[in-house]
Amino acid sequence: MTVDFIYNFLNDLLPGFLGNDLLLILAMLLPFFALFGFITIYGFGVIYAELKVSSFIQDKTGPMGQGYGFHAGKWGLLQPVADGLHLFFKEDIIPATADRPLFILAPFLIFIGMFVGIIAIPFGEAIIISDMNIGIFYILGIGSLAVIALILAGWSSNNKWALYGGMRSAAQIISYEIPAGLSLIVVILLASSLSMQEIISYQSGGIFNWIIFDNPFMPIAFIIFFISALAETNRTPFDLPESESELVAGFVTEYSGARYAFFFLSEYVNMFVISAVAATAFLGGWQSPFPNFLNTPAWSVFWMISKAFFLVFVMIWVRWTVPRLRVDQLMHLCWKVFIPIGLFNIFGVSIWTVLRG
Amino acid sequence: MGIVRGEEMVLNIGPQHPATHGVLRLQVKTDGEVVSQITPYMGYLHRCFEKHCENVTYEQVIPFTDRCDYLSSMSMNFGYVVAMEELMDIKVNERVEHIRVTMAELQRIASHLLCTGVFGLDLGAFTPFLWALRDRERILDLFELTCGARLLYNYMWVGGLSHDIPNGFVESTYEFLDYFEPKVDELENILAHNKILVERSADIGVMPKDVAISYGVTGPNLRASGVNWDLRKNDPYSIYDRFEFNVPVGEGIKGTVGDCWDRFYVRILEIRESVKIIRQALASMPKDGDVHQSLPKKLRPPKGSIYSRTETPRGDLGYYIESDGSPIPYRLKMRSPAFTALSVMDEIGAGWLLSDVLAILGSLDIVLGEIDR
Amino acid sequence: MTDSKEKLIAELVNKGLDGDMDAVNACEDRMIRAKAKAMIVKVGKGTAERPPLPEAVSSVVSEVLPKETAPVEVNKNVNQKVKDMVENEFPGSTIDGDDFIQLYPQKWFEIASWLRKEESLFFDSLQCQMGVDIGEENLESRYNLHSMKHDHYVEIRIAVSRSSPKIPSVEQIWRIADWFERETYDMLGIEFVGHRDLRRILLPDDWEGWPLRKDYQEQETYHGIVVPKVKEGWE
Repeated sequence: MTVDFIYNFLNDLLPGFLGNDLLLILAMLLPFFALFGFITIYGFGVIYAELKVSSFIQDKTGPMGQGYGFHAGKWGLLQPVADGLHLFFKEDIIPATADRPLFILAPFLIFIGMFVGIIAIPFGEAIIISDMNIGIFYILGIGSLAVIALILAGWSSNNKWALYGGMRSAAQIISYEIPAGLSLIVVILLASSLSMQEIISYQSGGIFNWIIFDNPFMPIAFIIFFISALAETNRTPFDLPESESELVAGFVTEYSGARYAFFFLSEYVNMFVISAVAATAFLGGWQSPFPNFLNTPAWSVFWMISKAFFLVFVMIWVRWTVPRLRVDQLMHLCWKVFIPIGLFNIFGVSIWTVLRG
Repeated sequence: MGIVRGEEMVLNIGPQHPATHGVLRLQVKTDGEVVSQITPYMGYLHRCFEKHCENVTYEQVIPFTDRCDYLSSMSMNFGYVVAMEELMDIKVNERVEHIRVTMAELQRIASHLLCTGVFGLDLGAFTPFLWALRDRERILDLFELTCGARLLYNYMWVGGLSHDIPNGFVESTYEFLDYFEPKVDELENILAHNKILVERSADIGVMPKDVAISYGVTGPNLRASGVNWDLRKNDPYSIYDRFEFNVPVGEGIKGTVGDCWDRFYVRILEIRESVKIIRQALASMPKDGDVHQSLPKKLRPPKGSIYSRTETPRGDLGYYIESDGSPIPYRLKMRSPAFTALSVMDEIGAGWLLSDVLAILGSLDIVLGEIDR
Repeated sequence: MTDSKEKLIAELVNKGLDGDMDAVNACEDRMIRAKAKAMIVKVGKGTAERPPLPEAVSSVVSEVLPKETAPVEVNKNVNQKVKDMVENEFPGSTIDGDDFIQLYPQKWFEIASWLRKEESLFFDSLQCQMGVDIGEENLESRYNLHSMKHDHYVEIRIAVSRSSPKIPSVEQIWRIADWFERETYDMLGIEFVGHRDLRRILLPDDWEGWPLRKDYQEQETYHGIVVPKVKEGWE
């Protein structure tokens, strides 16, 4: 309820404008800019992390630079900035035979889908843009908007590779929504709420109260959720929609410049959102792992971001380690392995809850 | 229950495509993800090698052979000089033979490293590719030390070599081998026994023995199909008959004999055998001997023809040289191993999924420079 | 007729009925092929039953894999010996030659099938096929055959006149000949009769002339682009 909070705060601060609509708009814009700033900084950070982690794994140095001038800065810190500028100043090509309106729409749609997910993520007891009572449901629902964007991108490019990529991603993301949803249902069963804050407060009191350690079924649920998350974000080993050695670049084949950057960025934002959901649902959210220690609001932001970043790091780590699955193996894993286990998990957790009272 | 069949789509993989390893176009007919027919189109890299050869002298052919298979130039040189020396009846001294074998085997390691790495890349594993290239780089450093070039060497000449090996080469090579041997295990661990890679390559693109022979497939691809055929053993040229090494053959450990995994794994085993050969060649290399000793002033082979085969990293490389007694070849034909390997693509690739087709293509280890010549 | 042949025919008929006529056409044994085709027609008319699909027939090619037999003695004169055998089997098909076998083109397909199947020879691998312009109005196609089993090796040469260069294709005997012959066709214009897909392979489809013939003249222009003249000699 922070928009209300800011609105009230502004009303108190500027009594002259009391009740003015301008203040409401300002109260909405402030979190928006905060969010946008966060995504920008996060984007640079995660791209740098991807470069450096992959370099470490691949036994190379990654972006390096020294001194001043047109280098990539100290330790290559400016490399993501250079990449971003490079993408934004590139010529923006729209193929002549593409479906122009849809082609332009797709990158915005995917970015909106990822962007608005963040508003339901709690960074602290009061630090959440919108604490709705169906928070977790909202994030899953809004995240699925990406499917439409990917199909649009694949279809409107008028390119066979893009079509393959779009179709693959649609099949993949829709399929993996199910195991992800199934493993979140057990969390909801335990917390008896769809609200993110309620789920977190259920886990208060140290690391052993976290849902992942709640009962023997939960680690399984967490693993299923995390792997499904990898699939939903189109990361290796599930990067079939954009598998560069098969489909050239999948649904982004025809995109260039800033439009490509939007796809690129939304993948990373999606990684963060999914990791934050996993951290909220399984790893105690913004709660400190130690009961009544380092549990102030400032620390809560730290805990939330570090938990989410750890999961993002694991995603990067996995990406640079394993090969890619094939389309039928991907579906096999989802429908014949994860969904039965997920259903079994719901059953097990229900029994557990009944027996434990 | 009938099978619902959609309309078939014609898809051009290439000429610019990340998985074609060069400029190759595979025209595939797909029904969804299933590929029903593959028609390779090549010639995009055709540089008239054979026509050129009819216009330059015998010595001048050697740089052209470099550029055919640019990933194993030493082996291409080797094949040509072996053919020419047989045609002209030249006997080179021991030191030259040892250096040649060392270079050819180093080249084999370099080429197989690239192949296994790129196979991983085709299946989406990026890291092993860079690991492989990192080690290949050390081999290229050794070549640079020897002849100044890193890719196209023009190092082996008819009757000798362009340069002797420099001081410290033998020590550097030993140092490299000591460094390299544990790295092969590392590469094998991250790739060969990776569950996903096994799932992706075992039982995929099985090439039975008789199909392989009928299509003239040679080298590691043939051995992966279970045929124990290596020219270094079966028809030894140079001094290969003196060295102890095994010929790895596909055994179908993870699936069927002759599948993609076998083709990939045979190459890793071959890297180990090459290391053995290099160690033996370095140990028995004579200290003295002029590498220019039997270098003829002008190459003027007698009238006649010869078909000579050598084992390159990609298979049997044949040179058919027809000489009319002049210093210019009358006709020179290169029988390139990758050409025959690519021809089997439709036979073993049709009927698989699109992803599998690219895995099969990667496992065949083709080099377009050599196919198109 | 042996069991294996019956099985093979049954398999081919089934394949053919399922629409895979290529498998039938690719069968090397003409007798089996003919019988299979006849049976397909009969089944089509309803005068015969569809044969039951035999179990464990691995593939068409494996049928011709031979039993263990003694190879022709490997020595320098294997060419001579094989030549004598060919002359025995197909009288009047060879021409004198020293370290190769010179054949007339007419019976080449039959000879090739025989070389591939004769168990003491068993040339299962076509190592290399090339064309060469031997001058005197003649082109020549050369085949380097090799037996993986017996490890012996012969060279066969077939000369044809430049005005009508026609040689029977052997691409159905050794599959690699498909591409080798296409390449020779591409470079020298030798027409391989019976080749199922004789197109240019390395050069563009609209290329004019046969580049590796000695009388080849470069085109003046190609797609409107003037072809630069080659400088004489090397500087």
